Amino acid sequence: MSIEVKDLSFRYGKIVALDGVTMKLGEGAVGLLGPNGAGKSTLLRILLGFLVPGRGEGKVLDYDIRRDRAMIRRSVGYMPESDCFVAGMDAVTFTAYFGELSGMPRQEAMKRAHEVLFYVGLGEARYRLLDTYSAGMKQRLKLAQALVHDPKILFLDEPTSNLDPNGRNEVLELIRDISSNKSIQVLLSSHILADIESICGSVVILNKGRLAAEGRMADLRAIDYSLFELRLKGDGEAFRKDLESRGCRVDETEDKLIKVYMPEKSDRMDIFRAASRTGVQIRYFVKSQTSLEDLFAGVVGVD
Amino acid sequence: MTAVIAATHLSKWYGNVLGLNDVSLEIEAGITGLLGPNGAGKSTFMKLITGQMKPNIGTVTVRGRKVWNNPTIFAGIGFCPEHDVFYEEVTGWEFVTGLLRFYGYSGSDIKQRAARALDIVELTKDKDRLIRGYSRGMRQRVKFAQAIAHDPEIIVLDEPLSGLDPLGKRKLIKLIKAFRDEGRTVLVSSHVLPEIEALTSRIVLVHQGKILAQGDIPYIRELIEAHPHMISVRSSDPRALAARFVGDRSIQKMSFAPDGRTFVVETHKRDDFFARLTGVVLEGGIEVEEISSPDDNLQSVFEYLVGK
Amino acid sequence: MATVREKGYSHWDGKLTERRFPWWPITRTGILLAFRKKRFKFVFAGSFVPAVVFLVGLYISERLEDFKAFLQGSDRLLNINPNYFKTYFTNDSLLFLIVLVLGFAAAGLVADDLKHNSLQLYFSRPLRKKDYLLGKMSVIVFFVLILTAVPGLVLLIFKLIFAGSFKFFLDYPWLPLSILGYSALLTVFFSFYVLFLSSLSKNTRYVTILVFMIYIFSDILFGMLSGIFHEPAMALFSIKANLQQAGAFLFGQKLPFAVPAVWSFLILAGICVLSAAVLNRKIRSVEVIK
Repeated sequence: MSIEVKDLSFRYGKIVALDGVTMKLGEGAVGLLGPNGAGKSTLLRILLGFLVPGRGEGKVLDYDIRRDRAMIRRSVGYMPESDCFVAGMDAVTFTAYFGELSGMPRQEAMKRAHEVLFYVGLGEARYRLLDTYSAGMKQRLKLAQALVHDPKILFLDEPTSNLDPNGRNEVLELIRDISSNKSIQVLLSSHILADIESICGSVVILNKGRLAAEGRMADLRAIDYSLFELRLKGDGEAFRKDLESRGCRVDETEDKLIKVYMPEKSDRMDIFRAASRTGVQIRYFVKSQTSLEDLFAGVVGVD
Repeated sequence: MTAVIAATHLSKWYGNVLGLNDVSLEIEAGITGLLGPNGAGKSTFMKLITGQMKPNIGTVTVRGRKVWNNPTIFAGIGFCPEHDVFYEEVTGWEFVTGLLRFYGYSGSDIKQRAARALDIVELTKDKDRLIRGYSRGMRQRVKFAQAIAHDPEIIVLDEPLSGLDPLGKRKLIKLIKAFRDEGRTVLVSSHVLPEIEALTSRIVLVHQGKILAQGDIPYIRELIEAHPHMISVRSSDPRALAARFVGDRSIQKMSFAPDGRTFVVETHKRDDFFARLTGVVLEGGIEVEEISSPDDNLQSVFEYLVGK
Repeated sequence: MATVREKGYSHWDGKLTERRFPWWPITRTGILLAFRKKRFKFVFAGSFVPAVVFLVGLYISERLEDFKAFLQGSDRLLNINPNYFKTYFTNDSLLFLIVLVLGFAAAGLVADDLKHNSLQLYFSRPLRKKDYLLGKMSVIVFFVLILTAVPGLVLLIFKLIFAGSFKFFLDYPWLPLSILGYSALLTVFFSFYVLFLSSLSKNTRYVTILVFMIYIFSDILFGMLSGIFHEPAMALFSIKANLQQAGAFLFGQKLPFAVPAVWSFLILAGICVLSAAVLNRKIRSVEVIK
C-alpha cells in the first residue's frame, strides 16, 4: 500500500477540515473528488508533509506522516493547479533546478531534465525561455518538474485546466501512460469527472472533512439489479411490448435511450431475441452502472 | 427556425494577427456549443457578438440589428467571460448592482434583479463579502449572476463551468437548460468537450479563423468520410463473431482489443452491420456484453477535424 | 545483442543525495538570474568604483611622494591607517552602491516567487523554509561580501604589497577582523532588509523602489528632524547613519554622530528581527496547496 492513513483529523482554528479519514490506497490511478471545501487540499497537504495532523496517523510510501515529512517529499511529485514558473529561465534549467532541489546531483538532474521534457512533449521547445510558453506548454512543464526526480507517487491537481481539447487529450494520454506504468501511483484531484472516469480505477470522495466513498470505481458504480441501456433503430413499440410480456420493465428517457430492467436470473440475450423477433436493430447495448456524477451526488448529498 | 444571431462575412484581425476569416453563420435559439483549439478565433467571435469589438469586414447582427455601437442591444445580451474581471474590493452585491446600473434600471428594480440573480447562483449568503475573499467557484458564480441579472435573451458564456465542483457544474447545466427551455439563446464555449456534450448536441467548430463544422454532432460525424464509423462489441467469443463478418465487404477494418473480449469494426455502412449483428449473435450462441460506438462523440469529431 | 529502448517513460536509477547545503542551487540560480537582468552587469561593474578609487589612493600614498606636493591639504586621504579603511567601508557612495546593486539583483528574490507562485514548487521538495530563506539570503551575502569583505581584504593585501613590508599589519593586527566584522554586519543587515522588502510585494519593480526609497528617505528624515530638533540622536532614524556609526565603532575610530554606538547596533538588530518575523509569517502563510 503506498498511502495509508488512519483516523486523520485536522482543524484550522475552529474549522474542522478533516474528521477521522481512514483509507488505504494501492496501485493504479486514484481519483480524489469532493465539493469545494471538502478537505481535499488539507488531505493533500498532510500527505505531502506540510501539515501535521491534529489526530491520527499514516504512512506515505513507508514514511510516517508525522516524523518523516521531508522524506516524503523526496519521493513524491506534485503538479500544482495554479500557474507557477520562474521567470528568466528556460525549460531545461527550470526542470534541472527543481530536480537538484529534490536531491539529484547536478549532472543527473540535467540529463534527466532533457529526458523528461521530451517525454511530456516539450522536447523542441526546451531551450526557450519560459516567459514565451503558452498555457498548454506551461501545464506540461509542471508535469515535467513533478516527474524529473522519478517519484513513486504523483499528485496531480487539476492537470488539464486551461488546456484546449487537443492539449487535454495529450495530457490525459501522458497520465494514463504514467499510471499504467505500475510503479508510479497517481493521485488525481479534479472536478472534471470525465477525466477521472477515463484514467482512474479507484476513487476517494470526500465531503465535509469525512470520507464519503472509497474503492474501485467498478465496485462503487455497480448496480445489483440487471439494468441495460439500449439504443435502437426500428419499431420500438413492438420491441417494448415483447420484452414487457416476458416480465421486464422498459423505460425511455427524453434522450431516446431505452432502459430495460430485467428480472433476476434472466438471460441478457433475451433482449437480442426480442430484437430479432421484432426486427429491431440494437445499436448500443451497455450494462448500466451508476454514472460517476450520480455516484458523487448520491454520496455527497444533493439538496 | 429563425436565426437569433447572424454573422455575414465576418472578418477581424489584430494588426496582422488573424482573428476571424470570412465567417458566415447563423445561431438559433437554444444551446449552441462553441469549440476550437487555442487561437482558433472563439474569443474573437464572442467579443464581436457581444459588441466589444468592431468587425473589420462584415457584420454581426442580433435579430437583424447590428451589434456594434448599439447599446440598446446590449440589454439583451449577457456575457460571462472566462477570466476574472473583478474589482476585488467590492462585494458580490455591489458588483452585480453596479453593473446593472448601466442598463438604466430603477433603484428598486436593480435590487430585485440582483437579489434574484444572486439567489439563482446560490450566493445570497455571501453577497456582502468582498470578492477578494471569494473562492474560485464563487467567483465563477458571481460572474454568471452578472450575466443573467438583466434578464437577457442571449447569453454568451466562456468556460462557465471552470472552477466549479461536480455538483456546481450539474446545477449550472440544469440552469442553462432551463434558460433554453424559456426560449433563450445560449452560446457556450468550452474546452472540456464532455461538458459541452452534456449541454447540447449542436455545435460550431472554429479553426484557424474559419468555421470548420456546424450542426448536430451525429450529423457532423456522419459527414466525416475519411473516418468510417467505429463499432465495438464485447462478447464471450469475439473471434467467432469476427469470423462471421470477415466476408462482409462493407467492413473496412477489424481489430481486437488487448482485453481479449472486444472486437472493433470500422465501416461506412453501419446499418448493414447492425442489421446482421443480432442474427449473427443469436445464431452463434454468443453472449454479448456490450455494444458501443467509441468514436461517435465530440472528442473524436474534434480530433478527426482538427487533428494534432 | 541489440537493445531497444522504449519511447515511454523510463525510470531513473540514481540515488537522491542529501546535500550538506540543500539550498545551494537556490543561491547559484539567484546569482545567475541576477546577472541575466539587463544592464545589471554595468551596475555591478560600476559598484567596484570605490574599491578602485581607494586602491589608487593606496598606491599614491605609498609610491608617489611627489603627489603629496600636488594635493596639499589632503593629508587625511593619504594617511593610510584604519581610518582609511573605515572611510572606504562607511563612505556614502559605497553604501549607496550596495543598495543599488541589491535593488536590482535581489529585489525579485522573493517577490518573483510570490508573483509566479513558485513557492509551491520549492516546498514540494524536501526543502525547509529555513533552507529556502538561507538560499535566497546567500545571494545577497554574495553580492555584499564581494563589495565589502573582498575588496577590503584585497586593499589590505595590496597595502602590504605596495609598502613592501608587514609593518602595517603588525601595527593594526585587528584590522582584518574589523573588515570581516563590519562586512558581516553589512551582510546580515542587508540580507534581512532586502529579503524582507522582497517578500512584501509581488512586483519586483515596486520592491526595487522600496529598497531605495526607504534607505534614502530614512536619511532625509534624519536631516529634517535634525534641523527641527538639533538633537544628535536623530541620527538613529537614518539607516545610513546607523551603518556608519557601527562601522566607525568596529574600526576603532571616532564616531561620526554624538550618540552611543550601542544604539545603532540595537536599531540595526531590531530591523533584522522584525524582518525575520515578517519573513517567517509571509512564507508560512502562503498556501502551497490551495
